[in-house]
Amino acid sequence: MSVVNGPLKGVRILDLTHVWAGPLATRILSDLGAEVVKVERALGRGLSMPVTEPIAGWIGGEPGAEPWNNNAAFVKLARNAQSISLDLKQQQGRDLFLGLVAVADVVIENFSARAMPAMDLGYEVLSARNSRLIYVTMPGYGTSGPYQDWVAFGPTVEPMTGLGQMLGYSDEEPRNSAMALMDPIGGTTAVSGLLTALREREQTGKGGCVELSLHESGVTFNGPWLIEQQLRGELRPYGNAHPEMAPHGMYRCRSRGLDDDADWIAVACQDQQAWQGLATLLGDEVDPDWDLSERVARAEAIDAVLETWSLGIDKDAAAQTLQDRGVAAAPVATAPDMLAETQAQAREFFVPLERFATPIPGNPIHMSGLSHADWTPCPPLGAHSQSVLHKWLDMSPQETQQLLDAKIIAERPPD
Amino acid sequence: MDRILEIGAYSAGFCGRLFAHAGHAVTRVESTQPPAWASQDAMSLFLHPGKRRLYADPSRFGDLAAEADIVIVEAETAEAAYALGFEHWTTPVKVVITPFGLTGPKRNWRATPSTLLAMGGYSQIIGDAGRAPLSLPGHYVEFQGAQFAYTAANGCRFAGESNTVDISLYESLLALSQFTTVMWSCAQRVRSRHGSDFYWVVPSNLFACADGWVYINTVPTFWDAMAAFLELPELTIDPRFTDNDLRMQHRDALHALIANALGAVSKAEIRRRSVAARIPAGVVLTFDEVLADEHLAERGFWQRIEDSDGRHYTSPSLGFCIDGRARKPMTLRKIEADESL
Repeated sequence: MSVVNGPLKGVRILDLTHVWAGPLATRILSDLGAEVVKVERALGRGLSMPVTEPIAGWIGGEPGAEPWNNNAAFVKLARNAQSISLDLKQQQGRDLFLGLVAVADVVIENFSARAMPAMDLGYEVLSARNSRLIYVTMPGYGTSGPYQDWVAFGPTVEPMTGLGQMLGYSDEEPRNSAMALMDPIGGTTAVSGLLTALREREQTGKGGCVELSLHESGVTFNGPWLIEQQLRGELRPYGNAHPEMAPHGMYRCRSRGLDDDADWIAVACQDQQAWQGLATLLGDEVDPDWDLSERVARAEAIDAVLETWSLGIDKDAAAQTLQDRGVAAAPVATAPDMLAETQAQAREFFVPLERFATPIPGNPIHMSGLSHADWTPCPPLGAHSQSVLHKWLDMSPQETQQLLDAKIIAERPPD
Repeated sequence: MDRILEIGAYSAGFCGRLFAHAGHAVTRVESTQPPAWASQDAMSLFLHPGKRRLYADPSRFGDLAAEADIVIVEAETAEAAYALGFEHWTTPVKVVITPFGLTGPKRNWRATPSTLLAMGGYSQIIGDAGRAPLSLPGHYVEFQGAQFAYTAANGCRFAGESNTVDISLYESLLALSQFTTVMWSCAQRVRSRHGSDFYWVVPSNLFACADGWVYINTVPTFWDAMAAFLELPELTIDPRFTDNDLRMQHRDALHALIANALGAVSKAEIRRRSVAARIPAGVVLTFDEVLADEHLAERGFWQRIEDSDGRHYTSPSLGFCIDGRARKPMTLRKIEADESL
């Protein structure tokens, strides 16, 4: 059982997810006490000898003796989990997996729609082993419909949701977030779906299949615009402006000499009171009595006055000055800024859990009974390959050693 | 079925929407709303169908909360949240959503989605180098906070626990940052803006086509297929492009070749080709195109919403579906003056 206390303690999750959306979902669930067992291929974390540096680097800055366990982007999403490395393509591995399914509460995966059925491990097969099982599947475009077999990654799904109509500097300059925005939306949507299904199971005693696509999760987030389109027609990008706030934008600040393209502040004048506070700062060139329509009409001039002011002050001081006048404002933060930020520090948001005290983003759900003091770091690949089988399937150490020798389970990648 | 009391703006509204769609009885207390990215009509049609909506004086909130199993409170600051008196309410599960949480030196800072996205590290990486960072439009911030609120509240109910949950929208963003902070901690690299280019995996960018735009995302295993999709098979043997490191070095040359290859191709043809080549590509769809999309229609994704005057709208349903159940039509009810649950 998980050592993490929380409302999901006792919920057993078999986690076959990879990349971002799926592992994010299971990290959230493990933070709430669920027992998450990552079911990984022996090569799931890469080769035993590194070929290239991972995108976010190595934990500790170098690959170390076990590079497959030091991929920073992977580690960030795998705290509190256990790891069993199991070859699902061998019959014995598949049988073991089905044995685990029989005593699990949840199986979650984010493969393509074809993958699990191709291994004869689709929902029908799994639910036949465990009628209380909740199966969460998160393919890019779902398991049905004309696009079901389309190859999908977060950045390519994003434009298919309509967001490209609004995100950009202008009509002629649309932009993609280039940060796979659909993945965090899909991850949290998967968690919402799973919790809904768990609550339903309390009533019915039966499991179910939770299906979400990155595509539909993303389209849902654009819901207000999709209805606005039906109410009033064409919507266009606002750049950094806002339909109901002015001034609203990004303003350059005095350089800190860091060459990080980050000397900017976001300002959002959200009501008349905030405008009056801002106007007292900006001086005679603006009128504190201008209402929203007047401020929209004079937006370009107000922006120029505001940026003249902001260019004389660094972004942190600018934000504090504006906040003191009741204006929503914040510095554009880089990673070092985020880690040094006082609010996050005061609430101990980043947790130096992993090796080399690498700070990892924490859990935004604060409530009594949850504490990061319970957390365990990302497990080495296959660290629990034997112990999970001991505990969940009551296998003996002799039996699991034989599985290890036969390479049905693994504790490191093959050489 | 739980009884949910919802007090607040778009984050509480999205959380209540999740509960309403899951079949719980949601009562929303209406109030003046902060600025939104769409009209208040559109926000209500999206967020509030299936809920009972009423006006109530804040002095009545405690009584209303006493009748609920879960109360979702969203407030502008911690001080504003405490002014509602939620800590005295007897509801078993109380979820309080604020921009920065109920504690900490910035608990009373004012915030909007754009200022939170700036602090949360998103704005620094969206937009063009040397130009103003682009703030993500829409209500991503509030909706993500809502999903954490929904998760926490359901978790408490699942465990049979009473609890007070403190959700910070700022921390919700930090929790969902891609790899921004670990990249700094582990590789000493500070992320910055590269337009639409996902800088580390080349080519991954937005390209103009004959009638719009297309995004391609070429993780290394897709490189040969991508060359086939582009109808430029010679790229696979071009020594400038044989691996991702080389493609990063010769990014501009490669982007120019791709721009030239796609510039005269229609969105429809790009979709046909990307399916044939099995490569990840997505065309930029307008909202009208999304509303008319055959895939979403065939999957029964849309929900029919009726307003109190009998007009109908097409709305996205939930982002997930359980056991393939059909999405049921819902109604946006009139606001009541009645204050009793």
